[in-house]
Amino acid sequence: MGTVAVNGRLETLPEDAEVLLVDFVRGRLGLTGTKLACGSGVCGACTLLLDGAPVVSCLMPAKAVAGKSIITIEGIGASGLHPVQRAFMAGDALQCGFCTPGFIVEAVAFHDRWRREKGTRAPSTAEIGAALAGHLCRCGAYANILRTVAEACAGRFDGEATTSPRLEARDKVTGAAHYTVDVRHDGQLEGCILRARVAHARIDALDLRPALRLPGVAAAIPLIDKDCTVRYVGQQIAAVAAADRRTAHAALAAIAATFSPLPAAIGPDAARAPGAAIAFGSRGALANASEGPILPVRWRGNLRGPSAAFSFRARRARRWVRAARRAADPYLVEGSFHTAVQQHTALEPHAAVARFDGDRLTLHVSTQAVSHVQSEIAKRLALDQSKIRVVAQHVGGGFGAKGALGSEALVAIKLARAARAPVRVAFDRHEELSVAGYRPGARIDLALLPARDGSLKALSLTAYADTGASVNSTIAGLGRLIYPAKAKYLADFDVVSNLPPAAPFRGPGGPPMAFALEQAIDEAALRLKIDPIVLRQRWDPNPNRQRLYAWAAGREVWRKTAARNGRFCKGVGVAAGYWLYLWQPGAKVELAVRNGRLVVSTAVQDIGTGSRSVLAQALADAFGLDPQEIDVRIGDSALPQGPPSTGSRTTASILPPTLIAAEELKRGIARRVKRPAIGSNAPWRERIAACPDFSVSAVRRDDAPPASRDIRSPLADAGPIGRVFAWMMRRFAHLAVGAGVPSSVQVVEVEVDTLLGHVRVDKVHTGIAVGRLAAPVLAHSQAAGAVIQGIGYALYEGREVDPSTGDILTAGLEDYRIPGIADTPSIEVHFDEAGFDHVLGGGVGVGEVATIPTAAAIANAVRNAIGVRPTEIPIRADRLLALLQGTTQ
Amino acid sequence: MNAGARREFRAAGTDLSERRRSGVSTGEVIDLVATPETRAMLWAADGGVTIGAAMTVAAIAAEPRISLAYAGLGAAAAGLATPQIRGVATLGGNLAQRSRCWYYRNPSIPCFKKGASRCPARAGNHLYGVVFDLGPCVAPHPSTLAAALLAYEARVNTDRRADIGIETLLGDGRDGKADHALLNDEIITSVKLPPPLDGERALYRRATGRAQAEWPLVEIVARLVIAAGSIVQLRLTAGGVAPVPLRLLDAEAAAQGAPASARTIADCAAAATVKANPLPMTGYKLALLRGLVRDALERLLA
Repeated sequence: MGTVAVNGRLETLPEDAEVLLVDFVRGRLGLTGTKLACGSGVCGACTLLLDGAPVVSCLMPAKAVAGKSIITIEGIGASGLHPVQRAFMAGDALQCGFCTPGFIVEAVAFHDRWRREKGTRAPSTAEIGAALAGHLCRCGAYANILRTVAEACAGRFDGEATTSPRLEARDKVTGAAHYTVDVRHDGQLEGCILRARVAHARIDALDLRPALRLPGVAAAIPLIDKDCTVRYVGQQIAAVAAADRRTAHAALAAIAATFSPLPAAIGPDAARAPGAAIAFGSRGALANASEGPILPVRWRGNLRGPSAAFSFRARRARRWVRAARRAADPYLVEGSFHTAVQQHTALEPHAAVARFDGDRLTLHVSTQAVSHVQSEIAKRLALDQSKIRVVAQHVGGGFGAKGALGSEALVAIKLARAARAPVRVAFDRHEELSVAGYRPGARIDLALLPARDGSLKALSLTAYADTGASVNSTIAGLGRLIYPAKAKYLADFDVVSNLPPAAPFRGPGGPPMAFALEQAIDEAALRLKIDPIVLRQRWDPNPNRQRLYAWAAGREVWRKTAARNGRFCKGVGVAAGYWLYLWQPGAKVELAVRNGRLVVSTAVQDIGTGSRSVLAQALADAFGLDPQEIDVRIGDSALPQGPPSTGSRTTASILPPTLIAAEELKRGIARRVKRPAIGSNAPWRERIAACPDFSVSAVRRDDAPPASRDIRSPLADAGPIGRVFAWMMRRFAHLAVGAGVPSSVQVVEVEVDTLLGHVRVDKVHTGIAVGRLAAPVLAHSQAAGAVIQGIGYALYEGREVDPSTGDILTAGLEDYRIPGIADTPSIEVHFDEAGFDHVLGGGVGVGEVATIPTAAAIANAVRNAIGVRPTEIPIRADRLLALLQGTTQ
Repeated sequence: MNAGARREFRAAGTDLSERRRSGVSTGEVIDLVATPETRAMLWAADGGVTIGAAMTVAAIAAEPRISLAYAGLGAAAAGLATPQIRGVATLGGNLAQRSRCWYYRNPSIPCFKKGASRCPARAGNHLYGVVFDLGPCVAPHPSTLAAALLAYEARVNTDRRADIGIETLLGDGRDGKADHALLNDEIITSVKLPPPLDGERALYRRATGRAQAEWPLVEIVARLVIAAGSIVQLRLTAGGVAPVPLRLLDAEAAAQGAPASARTIADCAAAATVKANPLPMTGYKLALLRGLVRDALERLLA
């Protein structure tokens, strides 16, 4: 029997040759700082040091480490933080934190070797990028990682000082932060889901008894819809709970299910072909691909639509476009744009751990919405809401896919009930990349018509979204809220087919809309022989973007002309984005003095965006304290009801009530404790320390009216449908649309290798107007990460499907290609902090608006570089070479 | 027998572990035990080298004498996979690894390599497939080191056979079922490289989407000897384009004796793809292959 030294302790290795090191370290030793994310050696989250060298423990057989020495993330910080850990903390080189332990382990090995060999000369970005190439970060913290590793190597963090703008950073860089996948109760079972292997079929029979007969299997439950129909590969059929994952998989294999195949329609082309099979007979059960309410809309076969309520003088718009086409109007811009399906693929998968104590349920779940999940469980399972507690202390990324009550949670609860034991359900990467939601791909047909006087006359956008087993994609409709025209026809169609359902993804509908519309604006500028920024200044009156256009026009690169030099062509492009300012009516924050400390509580969650730090920073500012002196309690539905972390609503929902509560708490403290002697430089610290326990709370109420009529909701400019939509959002989604438009303008510089069909993004200048920043460093991190995700959307990411079976082929992180650290451009983030003075705190959320224009700006830059417009993303080698073939080669 | 139930050897497990986890490989696993011989790099008096099959990819990449004598191999070893994988993955394992095809790697899809009678990628989605369609399976060979070793005319020793050509080990691509022509239960023990040519220059280039850590779309190893302004010898091999790493014989012939000129480079690039027969989705790889040949020769002639 082999042994291994783990963080200096001798441990006995398992005999079983199948056990992988990651499972031994996490499962047997309970060292959960090492994370399992991709399971195929691509993402590096499971990296640990084996005899000093970084290895991916998800591919390493446990028995192979016999006689060796392992250091995990827990061992690295054990005797005082390593300079790399301090650097990550100080430089905010992390967001959700799930990939962080792996990055730290690798960066520590790199740092130590570098210092031995090179002293304190700072390594180059390329050297660090090559060394850390085996790690992926979905939040896109790369720019800060590259900078902080260089600074650590240069010796800037050799001292003892540890500070971080992110409240929980220390837990994340030491592996102490517990995520849902790390929760382990006594007697906890592992739940796994049996999934369909056919795209469309009737389930004739399902026999769970063979599974239940296997030793170690505690429960098996059916998960079939009322109509006993499978509608996509991967649809859940049954689930089992067993002592471990391998037993659970054996049990799934033992389940006997028989199917009668039905004709399937796989993907939008097949679904719209004449005589296509009807993917969904009963349409009521379709999932919602967006966050808006589902309205009744016409169906024709698999096509749902048009949803065209945001149109404005629709017939006139179409008539003008037809007339311009007939007249061969040289200024009429027409085109068809294609965007790929983008997967969220947060590194922490969808996961839930359910545990019953009597009739009380505790659910740990990787969610963006603890309060919402609590109430949904009560509704769906007819449980008493007061007996449900939903917990999410740390969430390893969400991006919209974890905004609703998901099957992982429901299955864990049902299995826990059936097995009478705690059950964990954690998706593997294949499930995560196939059935856990995605941003629908789309074909967008566009026509944009300038008038003779140079104004914008008409816009026509028709979007066909590849929504699989879901509906309600809104892409074209978003074209109403920017670039006013005399008439607009905006039609959204869902093309339903036998593929998994979509889910809201960071600015749902925004990036594809911008990809089409912002390229059309760019093309119009070329035709009109006007600078693209000047044309936007003319056509887009929004005050927030007007300030950003002026900033963008002042970037030095904007004054350069495209340089085409043989094989390598450089180009620059611009694009604008916007999002709605949303906030949650009734979001509640409680503030208390407890044992002489300030405690803030609200059932919000931190998915890496920094809501903990926003709360702590606001209170630190109000009371003249250090953020670390504030106890922040979040991620627990037992706390006062907080907002979901979706729709960029978090900051604007929790900050105003926090500030109101702070004032009330101050008054309460003043009543209870006398003002200290004049001259104290921390008067509130002393008074809080001396104050008896008490608490106050405040809820989010409507904003004061803005000072200027120019500051209004974009829906206010959208006619009656805008008002109806805003009312419905508030009535049915408990979401208020505030005044003012969160805006972004990005300028992107690219270099195109025309020989090998490769686009490299060199620099991104991202200008963002979301008002005052509650946590400036974290907002900066989020904005930079949004650029990274936008680069992935523009250049690398695309789901691929087998056209005959409906299997998702890009179901691993090797084939589904998210940006790596070496793809990071230089990123300049500019925040314009005006425009939201009517919001208490002065600012709103940044998450979505920051990613919307990136792919469009990259496409415009590529057009500028090579003279041909890329109308399809991702701009892969095959597509770029095809574009170039028509021109130079 | 189900092909997945076949017995397999495990070196570092960087390929096998993922197939075990997914259930693509279900047979018995036998761990290889590295010996001093399989871990060694032995230099011969003639300048050639024998590399033990258990040497890691990183060790090959880090060896200065390899970079000097076999620059194409050294750069290939330094460019593949990720630092963590290179740190443990072995030469033998790299040569014997299985296809990265997304159909093959999906446990629920039957395919030629898993004992079925057809290749689902051929009629399905073969975006990353071959452009030299040599056999029933359309997945390109996964081994970057194999492409490099083919360029160096390496010889392979196994526990049963001595001194077989690397091209024999790799097969001609017509088989489709396996990714190599190893016998059942045969183990690679070492790889022998003949001495480099006098005055040769060599390099490794790859075309990828992202900058790092990605399986190449197309990769190429080029060795070149020039004398008095003419190309004396060109050796070109490519990966990512065929079920086996491929020698680009037509491109080599186009260079033979030709002046070291832009014209020759263009001729070689054009010749590289004359025998190609791409699939509906892989035509772009022709441009990439020609582009890499041009890129490699321009660099070698610079």
